[in-house]
Parts: sequence; structure tokens; C-alpha cells
Amino acid sequence: MVDSLTHFSEAQARLVTPIVEGRGLTRTFPMPSGPVTALREVSIDVSPGEYVAITGPSGCGKSTLLHLLGCVDAPTSGSLLFEGHDVSRLSESARSRIRLTRIGFIFQRFFLLPMLDAWENVELPQAEIGVGSQDRRQRTRELLEYVGLGDRAHHRPSQLSGGEMQRVAIARALANRPALLLADEPTGELDEDTGGQIADLFDRVHADGTAIIVVTHNQLLAGRAKRHLAMKRGTVESAAPVMTS
Amino acid sequence: MTSRALAWRTMTAERARGGLAIAGVAVIGALLFDMLLLSHGLLVSYRALLESAGYDVRVVATDNVIVRMPIPNATAIAGAIERLPEIREVAILRRARAAVLASGRSLQDVTLLSISAGAERHAWRIVAGSNPGPDEQAIEPPPLVVNRKLAEAASLSPGSIVRVRVALAAASALPAVPFRVVGIGDFLFDTADDLTASTSVGGFVRAKAAGSGDEAEVLLVASRPEFGPAAAAAAIQRLRPDLRAYSNEQLVAQINENGFAYFRQISFVLSSITLGFAFLLVATLLTVSVNQQLGQVAALRALGIPRRRIAATLLWESALLVGVGGLLSIPLGWALASVLDRILRDMPGISERVHFFVFEPATAAVHLGLLAATGLAAAAYPVWIATRLPIAATLRLETL
Ligand SMILES: Nc1ncnc2c1ncn2[C@@H]1O[C@H](COP(=O)(O)OP(=O)(O)O)[C@@H](O)[C@H]1O
Ligand SMILES: [Mg+2]
Repeated sequence: MVDSLTHFSEAQARLVTPIVEGRGLTRTFPMPSGPVTALREVSIDVSPGEYVAITGPSGCGKSTLLHLLGCVDAPTSGSLLFEGHDVSRLSESARSRIRLTRIGFIFQRFFLLPMLDAWENVELPQAEIGVGSQDRRQRTRELLEYVGLGDRAHHRPSQLSGGEMQRVAIARALANRPALLLADEPTGELDEDTGGQIADLFDRVHADGTAIIVVTHNQLLAGRAKRHLAMKRGTVESAAPVMTS
Repeated sequence: MTSRALAWRTMTAERARGGLAIAGVAVIGALLFDMLLLSHGLLVSYRALLESAGYDVRVVATDNVIVRMPIPNATAIAGAIERLPEIREVAILRRARAAVLASGRSLQDVTLLSISAGAERHAWRIVAGSNPGPDEQAIEPPPLVVNRKLAEAASLSPGSIVRVRVALAAASALPAVPFRVVGIGDFLFDTADDLTASTSVGGFVRAKAAGSGDEAEVLLVASRPEFGPAAAAAAIQRLRPDLRAYSNEQLVAQINENGFAYFRQISFVLSSITLGFAFLLVATLLTVSVNQQLGQVAALRALGIPRRRIAATLLWESALLVGVGGLLSIPLGWALASVLDRILRDMPGISERVHFFVFEPATAAVHLGLLAATGLAAAAYPVWIATRLPIAATLRLETL
């Protein structure tokens, strides 16, 4: 990233503290036919700058885990520390603030605002934390160039391809310089080549020092991660650093 | 980007939806505006009409303002009233049913008036010919000012000679007396179909064959400004407990309590229903719109955009739809009111000068206020959906 140097040193300063620290995370959904346990006693630490891939069959709890780590959902039992703060003790607005300033989210379906162009979509989270218009303009230009869409700034999502929309979404997720980037099947809607571009972009984000947790079925993308969690029926089966290919 | 700008973009991005909503609010708002105008337009207009006559107290013989008994010895009573310190001026209004005979035709149901000299300047406006001058009182035959309707019906113009026969309650025939038309006028209290003629006191007495005494329909009284109409009415009441003196204010209040209360009730019920429609329209459109955008809303929340921002955007969206529609509804409502007013004023028995819909800035303000409140209420449910949605479950559902 453009400000990788400062970012990386900040990350190093926090090296002792993981960004997220989940202990015995369990998430049960009450259903008419009885409770469904989507996640069972999962413990996980992710340190600053790490690149983690989560894989596993559909329905094994990958998204559920990602949502807990991203502070958008709360575990039924177990504890979660985000940068040392017990998330369960935070108010919704405090969790919202963490998401806004420390976490970036990328979705399979992009979820850009269709009435705004690429530029405005990327500006939105910055405006929310009160970045001045001068800095915001500079940052937005940098981000769009970073994802290779400097010339598409004033195109709406409907005028962009799937891969381009996902790149705008990545720029939006990075807008407030998050410590942690979460992606749920970011190439799920994209063809192989386009998925490859997203994988390359993730490599750059990682190289620039942002921690990444990506849930994916995409072998190529999973292969780029430095650590690999394989899930099955709500538990993490194996947690092994993968060999860089 | 501010919430308002975001709301504006949402609205303009979906032109059809925004256009429909605005058109809907404009039409519904026009009806609401008309109901509000109707709820006291008649009173405002009636008061203005009373005041335009230039007298602020009216004296009649009975309590009942609709079926009037005549005031006997009107000249003497008027003189006594005029001597009260509270009173500046008294005019005597006499009235009789008459038939007008002209160019071989006989027009029944003509109202023959006589109003004290000087007071006619308020009672009608001359459109052709002139008012009878003071020296003309003596010229034979006596002068007559007729309204346009009568002039048309009997083909009269200034200079025409007509014969007038006053109708008595009993089927007796008074002789027909000749009159000379001096002017054609617009009479203040005329209704659309009234045939009206006005003459001098002498002419009136002559037409009634002097047999009916010195009777008046109503005494029109102007108070002295330092006392005001309420004190003047009270003084007259003390002087003549057998008569009834009403200030304009009291007359308006009477109308308000009697015939008019029911206009207001209808207007209240219809306004409430109209507001209900506006509420449903905006609430439905916003709810549908939010439901179509649940994925985006959940994504924004996952990205840390706070609830209040999402609520504010929806409130702004509602405010813009209702605001633009509401502003359009004022000219639209006014145009509709003009049409309705014309229809209502054609009702028999309604003075042509009375309006049912009277534009008042305060009414427009109340109208916009009610619409604004409705817009806020209509946004409540969509805001609740958007701010309370479970982020994780929604993201999951919207990705399936
Ligand atoms: N909000 C929910 N309500 C009910 N069941 C849910 C909910 N979210 C997830 N589940 C269930 O939890 C399990 C794991 O879901 P999920 O984490 O979405 O799996 P994955 O992302 O690995 O495909 C599934 O059986 C799913 O049906
Ligand atoms: Mg999933």
C-alpha cells in the first residue's frame, strides 16, 4: 500500500497482541426444528499482517466464523478479543466503530451502492470517520489507482464488470486503512482469470502489511495465503501454515 | 457524502419510483390542502363579506338569523340607537318579496330592498348607470338599482321603466307601482340566482302601499372605534332587550357553531384519511425500497457505517419525497380548490361573494407541517427494518 511503511511499523508495534483472538467460539442458531450449531468451540488467533485462508465444504461454518471475527455477530459462547478488547462487552456502536476504523469487509456479491459511482463508494467510509475532503480525494484517487481503476472512477457499478466491482469493493474496504481485511468468497461470482486478478491484489495488500482472512473455494486464492484453516462441520480440522507455492 | 445527498441520489437513481412517489404525494397532498382550506375557508370568507359591508353590528328582531321577523318602528329605533355614545352610524335595511313587470313579462320572487342613503356604497357596486343622486329622491317615478340577473331576465337598462308589485303573505294584491331603472349593480350578498332590486325609502314605502308600517329587516350599525363592536352590541342590547344585536364576530361564531361545524367535521375526517393515504404510500415505497437493498444495508453496517447514518438517509429520502410532492401539492390543490369553489358557489342560496376555499399562508404552513409529520412517521418502519436487521444473517441470505 502507498503508506505501507508507517502501516507496517504500526503492525510490528502490535505484534505481541493478535488482532483477533477467539477462544472456544461457539455459535448456535435457534431453529424451529431445534438449535443448529454452526460453530463449535473454535479457537483462533490472527496476528497483524497475517494472511489466512479458510476453506471447507458449504455449510461448515466458514461465514459464521468470519462474521464473529469481523464483530458483526456475537458468539453464543466463547470469547473474542479484538486488538485486546473484549468484544462481548462493547456496545453495538463501539463494535460499529471498530468495523469502520479497523476492519475491511469484502463480500461475494460486492454490495456496492448502485446509485453511487466507484469514487463515491470508496469515499463513503472515509467521510464517515470525518476525513477532510482534500485528504479524501487524495486517498480515493490512490486507492482506485491501487486497484487498477483510476480511469473508471466515475462509473457506476452497473457500468463495471464483476471483477471491476470487486476491485472497487476492495478499495472501499481498504479506505480507512484497516488492520484486518475479511473476505467471504470474494471470487465466488468471478471467472478464473478475474479471480486471479483478485488474488494478485490480495497479495499486494498482504505485502503492504494488512492482515487478511479469506474464506474461499478458489484453490489459487487459497494457495496464496500463508496459513490455511480447513473447516468441517463447525470445527477447524487442520490449522497449518501452507507452503508458499 | 451527507445523508441528504445520499438520499437524493437514491431518489434520483430510481426515477420511476421517485416520480411516482412525488406525483402520489402531490395528488394526495392537493386533496389534503383542499380539505384544510375547506375547514375554515367559508368562515374566513363570510367574515370578510360581513366586514366589507362597512358595519360591524347587526340588529334583528328575533334570535333566529335565518327566519327573520321585521323590526317595527325602525326609524325611531334606529334614531335611538344612533344616539348611543358607542354608535357612529345606523343604516336601515328594508326588504320585501315582489314581482317585477316589464316588457310584458312578470318576474316573480324578486327581492326589493331599500337601504338608508349612504349605505348603498357598501351594499352593491354599480356596473352600469349610476346610483340615485340625493336630488333624484323627489323625481317621479322612484329610482331602482337592479342586479345583473334581473336586468338580463327583464331586458332592463338604465332608463327602463318597470312596475313592481310587492307580494304580501296573504294572497292579496297590492297595486303595481312604476319605477325607473337608474343603475345596474353587483349586490354584495346576492347568491347566483337572486333577482334583486333596490330603491329609495320613499319608493319602498310607496310599493308597500304604506299599509305595513315602518318595518325593517335589519339595522346595520357601525360602532365607534374607541368602543368597538362588542361594546356597541351590548349597549344596543341594553337599550332594546326585545331586539338582538350581533357583532360580526358573534355572527361568524354562530355560523361556525351551526351550519359550519359539519363542514369542519367532514373536512377533519377526509383530511385524516388523506394523511393516511400519504402515510401508506410513502411507507410502502420506502419499505419496498429498503427490502430491495437489504444486502447493501447489511454490507454498509458490516463496514461500520452507523445505524444513525442509515436512519438519517432514509428519513431524508422520505423528507425529499414528501417535501417535493408537498410543495407541488400547493399549486395543484389551489387549482383544484378553484374548480371546487366554483361548483359549490353555484349552490342555491350562497352569496356570490362567499368562498369555500380561501388561501391563507397559515393553512399552507399547517399543510406542509402535517405532510412533514406524515413523512417522518412513514419512514419509521423502514428505518426500523434497516437499523435493526441482523447483519450476519442478512449478508448470508442476500448471498444465497
Ligand atoms: N442466521 C442463521 N440462521 C440459521 N442457521 C444458520 C444461520 N447462519 C448460518 N446458519 C447455519 O449454520 C451453518 C453454517 O453456515 P455458514 O457459516 O453460512 O456456512 P458456510 O459459510 O461454511 O457455507 C449452516 O448449516 C447454516 O444453515
Ligand atoms: Mg458462507
